[in-house]
Amino acid sequence: MSSPLATALIDYLGALLLFTMIVILGSSQLYRTIYAVAAQSAFLAAAAAVLAIATRNLDLWVIAGITIVVKAVLLPWLLIGVVRRIGVKREIEPVVPTLLTLAIAAGTVVLSFQLAASLGAVRQTVTGNALPVGVALTLLGVLVMASRKTALAQMVGLFACENGIFFTAIAVSQGMPLIIEIGVLLDVVLGALVMGIFVLRVRSSVDADIADLSRLRA
Amino acid sequence: MEASLLWLLPAVPALTALTVLAVRSPRRLAVIDLMASLAVFLLALRLGWSVVQHGPVRSGLLGADAVSVVFVLLVGLLVAAVSVYTLGWMPRELAHRGIRESRLRLYYALVHGFVATMLLTVLSDNLGLLWIAMEGTTITSAVLVGFHGHRYGLEAAWKYIIVTTIGISFGLFGTILVYAAAAHAQGGALRALSYQAIAAVASQLDPGIVRIGFIFVLIGYGTKVGLAPMHMWLPDAHSQAPSPVSALLSGALIKCALFGIIRFHTIARGACGPEPSGTLLLAFGLVSVVVATPFILAQRDFKRLLGYHSVEHVGIVALGLGFGGPVGTYAALLHVVNHGVTKALVFFVAGDTISRYRTRNMHAIRGLIGIAPFAGTMLLCGAFSLAGVPPFSIFVSELLVVRAGLGGGHYLAVGVFLLMVAVIFAGLVHHAGAMAFGAAPAGADRSPSRLSPLVGMALLGAVMLLLGVFIPPGLDGLLRRATEIVLG
Amino acid sequence: MPGAEAVLPALAQAALLVLLGPLVSGVIQKLKARLQCRAGASVAQPYRDLAKLLRKGTVQSDTASAFYRAIPPLVLAAVVCAAAMVPVVVLPAAGGFTLGDAILLVGLLALARFLTALGALDAGGAFGGMGASREMTVAPLVEPVLLLVVFSVATAAGTTDLGLIAARRASDPAVWHSPDLLALAAMLVLLLAETGRIPVDNPDTHLELTMIHEGMLLEQSGPGLAAMALASHTKQLVMMAVVGALFFPIGLAPRPEPLLLVPAALAFLGKTAVLALFVGLVESSYAKLRFFRLPQFLGMGFLCAFLALALRVL
Repeated sequence: MSSPLATALIDYLGALLLFTMIVILGSSQLYRTIYAVAAQSAFLAAAAAVLAIATRNLDLWVIAGITIVVKAVLLPWLLIGVVRRIGVKREIEPVVPTLLTLAIAAGTVVLSFQLAASLGAVRQTVTGNALPVGVALTLLGVLVMASRKTALAQMVGLFACENGIFFTAIAVSQGMPLIIEIGVLLDVVLGALVMGIFVLRVRSSVDADIADLSRLRA
Repeated sequence: MEASLLWLLPAVPALTALTVLAVRSPRRLAVIDLMASLAVFLLALRLGWSVVQHGPVRSGLLGADAVSVVFVLLVGLLVAAVSVYTLGWMPRELAHRGIRESRLRLYYALVHGFVATMLLTVLSDNLGLLWIAMEGTTITSAVLVGFHGHRYGLEAAWKYIIVTTIGISFGLFGTILVYAAAAHAQGGALRALSYQAIAAVASQLDPGIVRIGFIFVLIGYGTKVGLAPMHMWLPDAHSQAPSPVSALLSGALIKCALFGIIRFHTIARGACGPEPSGTLLLAFGLVSVVVATPFILAQRDFKRLLGYHSVEHVGIVALGLGFGGPVGTYAALLHVVNHGVTKALVFFVAGDTISRYRTRNMHAIRGLIGIAPFAGTMLLCGAFSLAGVPPFSIFVSELLVVRAGLGGGHYLAVGVFLLMVAVIFAGLVHHAGAMAFGAAPAGADRSPSRLSPLVGMALLGAVMLLLGVFIPPGLDGLLRRATEIVLG
Repeated sequence: MPGAEAVLPALAQAALLVLLGPLVSGVIQKLKARLQCRAGASVAQPYRDLAKLLRKGTVQSDTASAFYRAIPPLVLAAVVCAAAMVPVVVLPAAGGFTLGDAILLVGLLALARFLTALGALDAGGAFGGMGASREMTVAPLVEPVLLLVVFSVATAAGTTDLGLIAARRASDPAVWHSPDLLALAAMLVLLLAETGRIPVDNPDTHLELTMIHEGMLLEQSGPGLAAMALASHTKQLVMMAVVGALFFPIGLAPRPEPLLLVPAALAFLGKTAVLALFVGLVESSYAKLRFFRLPQFLGMGFLCAFLALALRVL
């Protein structure tokens, strides 16, 4: 696969990642956000596959495979299981009004692209638009996390944030070392498990959403 | 020999964690815990001695230089002290049903897992492994924070795990940016993540991307450290956790996250010069000190007070690093050790006190000296130390920070800092004095203290006093060497 | 001075869109019926409805002004003019005259919307007022989307003339760039919004709480209503043709020769069929959004369009 084609494909996948991020930001139904983040992870795996072919780096195939299995199937399945258990399907009203969130998102993406454009020669080490899209997704993931009240929506924001980071990581010229990528994925899974357990624990003992607990004050 | 030490240090607590899951008897658990912790401490000393004698060590993904040794020694000391303390603390907790006996082995397993990940953090040469280990510390300590199982604990644990995970994700992103810069400057995948390799070529890295990477790292790992304004989770988490865990969290964990920042600070200094990392550290440090002060004054919960104190003191470390120069950096590293020791000591006292009085409210705690003279004395000493009073250790490091600031011409920052310290001194003395003196309420537990918590306190108190009076040449040499490494 | 060979194809295409509009509506309606396991009315039903309306007389509210009678023909005229600006089967001659560009198209559609709302208010009914106010609430989120999408595509092609954009994109080997994905997503949202389909508005309902577009038509009758209905069918097909021209400019004939026109016509019918399928499926799968949730949905489309433009420029 030639480099311009690889760059173009990465650009497309970057746009698709942004699109799924917009869906996550704008929708209030938990199921929709979970499916969107699953689709996002699938696009991420596709990007890894594209880069694997382009750079002939076999490690990236492994990463693509693990990403599909873990982030696109396993973690969303886990989340949906928790959603079914606790029966919360819809955000009532996020902390920040959705339109304001979307406006902030627009500004964030523009900012990310400006940031990437200001970098100069070193920009070439990261293929295509992976760097600005990665920055944008990371920041937007934090935005999702900050603007939601449901614990599960916050977790979705976390996953989206990490997708962004991964996207940039695999697109850096030689790709991150395999051990590190696997370690990162492992940590993400463990973290998600622990968070899921917390959510269920609080539901069962206190019958409130864990992110709603706010007794601890200054 | 030295290389295998690098692997042995995190392996010992990891193996202990696994072993402990198979043991049921509380007595045996306590003994295994103690022995493993002492082993860690001795190994840490051995590694320190080896690095001082022979210079930096590297083995695969792990590596240790003088800076790592400072942190490893701190962790080792605190782990040992915590184990000694837990020996006497646990039976009381079991009696009060704070921790159920069925979950005891999970507790010890988590603690040792936590220690293993902390050691892995400070011994990583590979920046990616640093991140992985740090996320590991978050996961294990989050379960520990919520260990008591009541809703406050779970709330604190949730805030902790979500905020710090997102935070260190930022740190990962910064790592990747620095990695991209290194990959641009040199080839080879794995080596480009090696700290020692990157630091060696730091001057060749593109300053633009390293600057952005450092900002991400500072905000990201800074969340884990507890720098304001990312500190919101810290008072909750450190106050809700069981007291020995709080001691480890405040004394050791936030320092390990600081270690990550220091590594990137060195790289940024090499690539971009003293700015902007110095200025950013200064700004965050000062904001942390200023933000923490009113909360310290208005506090009622004893352990939350200590949590906010941690925010203030990591602010001081950041100030020291920000002021820069040999004096500032030396002061920062010394403060890491001093604060770690002192904070752990005070958390020990807090744990003992709270289980006596069955409350965390400082207004309800009175007359500690009358009931438990040793603990009360330790409380006063610890409080004075935290406030920066001689002859305790924190006074020395704070003084050095002030000297560094004045030397660098940051008069305004130093002025604000001194003002805050004075205010905190007043508040802390007031609180501590009220708790120590006076007449104890009727409901307080007047039974004599068990021996081991007191031994733990004494151990740390001795170190605190020692470092306040005189810095042993070995430690001094180590700190000087570490300062050189940080400054590049 | 524009010659006949430039103007004629444009007018012919406009006529084509007007004639085919009701057929597309019929197809979508049949598809929905099938998905609901009903037989549904025949595909030609909209034509019969229009014929029926033309035979009927007009009833006008007492409070309506003299201008009221002029509104339906004006709306129809605006939409037909807009239809003349979209390349359907034939590309304009190279460097030749075109009737107007995308901005004019947006303006004409906005004019049609404005006149419809005006008519609804003029009639003085409660439903009309409510429908008009809702329509105007939706409009600021919808019209800029179309403009942003056009600008995003236009910055690459260097012109806002739809015909020329299609021509340039058709000849460009790497036709799609990454911002186009976002622009397409925005256009699909826009398609649903402009044509008043679920999840924005329900075209089949006449319940007072759920109408936007239908509310404005409630006071119309007879030939006036036929004109408005024809206008909305045509607008739907115009939007679909715009999507086709901007994003799938394949099969467009460079010159109006019969040999080239046949495959071009087939291509156009194919694209329209796919979009009709999309609209039908969306209508059958989703529920209408609560009115106060509309800004969020449309906001997502707006954000997609904005990012498409931003990514293009940055």
